[in-house]
Amino acid sequence: MSEAKRRRRSVFDVMTEYMEGLEALSEELGEIALFEGPSWDMKSCCIEPLCNVSVTDEEVIITADLPYTDPDKITVEPVARDLLEIKAEIKRKVSFHEFGITHRQGEFQFFRCVNRIPVAVDLKKMKTKFKRGILEIRLPRKKGIKAHAR
Amino acid sequence: MSELVRVVEKRSVPNNALMLHGLPDVGLVGLIATSHIIGQLKMNEIAYVDSDLLPPIVVLHEGLPHAPLRIFGNNDIIASFGESAIPAKAVQPIVKKLVEWGQSKKARLMISMGGIPVQERQDIESVKVYAAASIPTLIKTLTDKGIEIMHDGFLVGPYALIMRYCAERNIPAIALLAQSFYNYPDPEAAAAAIKEFSKISGVSIDVSKLIEGGEEIRLKARDTMKRTTEELNRMKKTQEYDLPLYV
Repeated sequence: MSEAKRRRRSVFDVMTEYMEGLEALSEELGEIALFEGPSWDMKSCCIEPLCNVSVTDEEVIITADLPYTDPDKITVEPVARDLLEIKAEIKRKVSFHEFGITHRQGEFQFFRCVNRIPVAVDLKKMKTKFKRGILEIRLPRKKGIKAHAR
Repeated sequence: MSELVRVVEKRSVPNNALMLHGLPDVGLVGLIATSHIIGQLKMNEIAYVDSDLLPPIVVLHEGLPHAPLRIFGNNDIIASFGESAIPAKAVQPIVKKLVEWGQSKKARLMISMGGIPVQERQDIESVKVYAAASIPTLIKTLTDKGIEIMHDGFLVGPYALIMRYCAERNIPAIALLAQSFYNYPDPEAAAAAIKEFSKISGVSIDVSKLIEGGEEIRLKARDTMKRTTEELNRMKKTQEYDLPLYV
């Protein structure tokens, strides 16, 4: 780079470039560090459903897409203070062959996932609803100390 | 220097065709809808998209490799169809190429089918479809056909770019956006979008299999949906929930 060009770069340009480099590196490291496994587990005959966790002012809402399941075959169970396990029996066994996959053998009979609850909630007041194959879990947030603006 | 994105034609491509776009987006609405139309109309693969910007993926069908982003067609309709998530960084050049290619084939109209994410989607019994268009005359056409216009708001992702590039080039284009789940495959929304597509194109498509086989589609589309959601998050897709500022 010529001397004239180097002088024209402001400290803000250098900072921006540095931050962008840092951001790209952190994204790259994140992708390398997190080993991604398959969305199924042959040993337990489970496949992982699609889930979503959202937090509102009043509650934490967890949803899971559970096609081919009956509501009475779904269990929702806390496995730790901030972990909730969803398990559901699929109405029929689903094999790899149904996905057009012939190079793997095996069948699945359950959906299973464990979701982290991001804020403190009252698990005893948990409510569930199952509609159109979507399980919805509502967990009221625990009330903490509030500051009031004067 | 080689082109960043190129469309490789395998068979002759009709001129003046109706061009559909079925790219992975919210609820995989466009992908499911376009896949269904391709199957119903027995369209053949006529071209594919090749780019170093796409991940090193081939899709095997009956032991043979295929590009994840392909173009199907018959004598009157051509359809771009992406079987795997398009990386956020590649969306712009790929969509631009698809629009330019469609223009070079004198596509008479481009139709994108997609989803518009709504909260509490599971409580919606009858899915609404909204439309946007690249030129004012199409807004009137849509209104005359009883299709509700999405007047204000943000579009983010492949369909937003299709509309933008088509508007810049004065290409007639319509986006049909059905109320859908954000990150769950939504065959019901796809069926609703197809019904509106039929009103516009005059091409009748039976959607009963899409409704009846909805659970199976949701089961099979899990992994594609998961990958697509990751890319949508990178594109800041949730900006579609934002309220626009008009002073």
